[in-house]
Amino acid sequence: MSGILAQYDSLGATRQAIERLRSEGHEQLDVFTPVMSPELEEALGIESSPVRRWALIGGITGFVTALALTSLTALAYPIVTQGKPIVSLPAFFIIMFEMTILFSGLFGFAGVLFHTRKPARRLSPHYRPAFSNDRFGIFVPAVGATEADRVAIERLLRESGAVEVEVSE
Amino acid sequence: MTTDRAAMATAEIEVPRESLPTLADANRDISRPISPPRWRYWLVLGICAALILAAAVAWTIQIRRGMGMAGINNPVNWGVYIVTFVFWVGIAHSGTLISAVLYLFRSGWRTTINRAAEAMTIFAVMTAGLFPLIHLGRVWYFYYLVPYPSTRLLWPNFRSPLVWDMFAIGTYFTISLVFWYLGLIPDLASLRDKFTGVKKKLYGAFSLGWQGTVRDWSHYRRLYLYLAGIATPLVLSVHSVVSWDFAVGIVPGWHSTIFAPYFVAGAIFSGIAMVITIMIPLRWAFGLEKYLTKYHFDNMAKLLLVTSLIVGYAYAMEYFLTWYSADPIEQESFRWRATGYYAGPFWIMMFCNVVVPMSLWFKRTRNSLAALFVVTIFVNVGMWYERFVIVVTSIAHEFEPGGWHVYTPSLTEITILVGSFAWFFFWFLLFSKTLPVISIAEVKEHLAHAHEHEHRE
Repeated sequence: MSGILAQYDSLGATRQAIERLRSEGHEQLDVFTPVMSPELEEALGIESSPVRRWALIGGITGFVTALALTSLTALAYPIVTQGKPIVSLPAFFIIMFEMTILFSGLFGFAGVLFHTRKPARRLSPHYRPAFSNDRFGIFVPAVGATEADRVAIERLLRESGAVEVEVSE
Repeated sequence: MTTDRAAMATAEIEVPRESLPTLADANRDISRPISPPRWRYWLVLGICAALILAAAVAWTIQIRRGMGMAGINNPVNWGVYIVTFVFWVGIAHSGTLISAVLYLFRSGWRTTINRAAEAMTIFAVMTAGLFPLIHLGRVWYFYYLVPYPSTRLLWPNFRSPLVWDMFAIGTYFTISLVFWYLGLIPDLASLRDKFTGVKKKLYGAFSLGWQGTVRDWSHYRRLYLYLAGIATPLVLSVHSVVSWDFAVGIVPGWHSTIFAPYFVAGAIFSGIAMVITIMIPLRWAFGLEKYLTKYHFDNMAKLLLVTSLIVGYAYAMEYFLTWYSADPIEQESFRWRATGYYAGPFWIMMFCNVVVPMSLWFKRTRNSLAALFVVTIFVNVGMWYERFVIVVTSIAHEFEPGGWHVYTPSLTEITILVGSFAWFFFWFLLFSKTLPVISIAEVKEHLAHAHEHEHRE
């Protein structure tokens, strides 16, 4: 997909550029950043990540699995030990607690891999090594745009403080 | 972005404004140690490897000849192995405290120490995990603890603290590893872009194709927060469960409800001491003075002081509870602990954990890295002795005077104890030359905000 790739060297400029681009109707932006930034998420209007649901489902799965594991195995070989009931829930709760956390974390990680489509063998053609170092990048797709549109986008990017602007295929 | 946060970020880096490192500086400085090591590194690594080998030989002999090679006897059948197991699990705790708890509290100063502390957590759990196996004697039966589908329907006894322990420590290791790895992904991508050839391929594979799009970061950020949220109760549960290995038994000196908070406080205390012990030489060897400042050590020293006070309070409270219980057996156990055969270890523990850290009330001690290093060595020693005192003195002096017996560690046990330190440092040394010891992405995050703030003024 061809378009225009601009590089920025500060968080503030990147944010302003995103806001201007969006106000002019460019919504399909790919933004690269070397640092975690809730500000850029906000500027792009990204909603809360669904990873939280993965973690919740994982936690519930872990709890139920542990409850089943401890109770059913105790019932499968019902021998009284330590004078306790066969299904000794207070003691089993510790296993349930640990497995809730274990599954929640692992499911959450699986969720991140799923939503970010990782592991990926290839990087985006618009990615530049500087984006893991000190540069922020905004890619504006310009498929089927006229020459005039391209010039307008380019001017907007430069005006908002881009240090480098190139056409990226 | 709030101005407060930017102001905080600047304060945390604590360098004059005009020399605030750029993002590229941080990238370069922190990844600089990832280069072919010099002879000194190989020498230390070699010493560690030799000590590990000695411990492996000792363990092999113990497996061949039996548990008689260890000094443990009846009634003192928990000795150095269990003491050292508890010690290393304790060391592991500060990593999670620094990375998760301080993250939730938005204590930005954790940024430069969390990576190394998390690595320490993982290596300490790897060390601790060996000891139940070594203590088991017939190590090949360890799978009895694992809930595998047995055709004889024999499952682990889930009422046993030893089984709780396996679940707690297994979960702790796994979650710590996921947390650590998640934090590493953006840094691995930086390294991928920095290197060429085989290194690029390797770092690239482990970075999973990370390219830092804002959308990816949003998922990442959410999970990071959740992991911090679940690691916090987890870390409190792990040492509580370890303490119940003891407290669930009816042995005088162990059977106490104070054990869980007492162990957790002790764990954090010893863990922070170990972080400082490691960070001081690391800072010097890798020239990270710009990122690991006095400010960070001052904060860690204050945490050490607070936890020392909690530990001191727990020691006193144990004696108070014993007196208040009016149980003569309990009282005898505690009298003997301080004045009997093991009075030496007891007073070493008191001196190292309660008296020495009081020097941290003085800013001069907190700001002198040499003094701080010495204090933390005392704490490391003291905390090992604390576990020795708890484990050994209690079972050596139980109910019946006829069953009293003392225990002295054997050469096999001491060799394995020394080997465990070598094993821990061996992994840490490998880590320090192959992965960034400070989180590059998080330091850059702070710097990006600080520069923003500077720009606006």
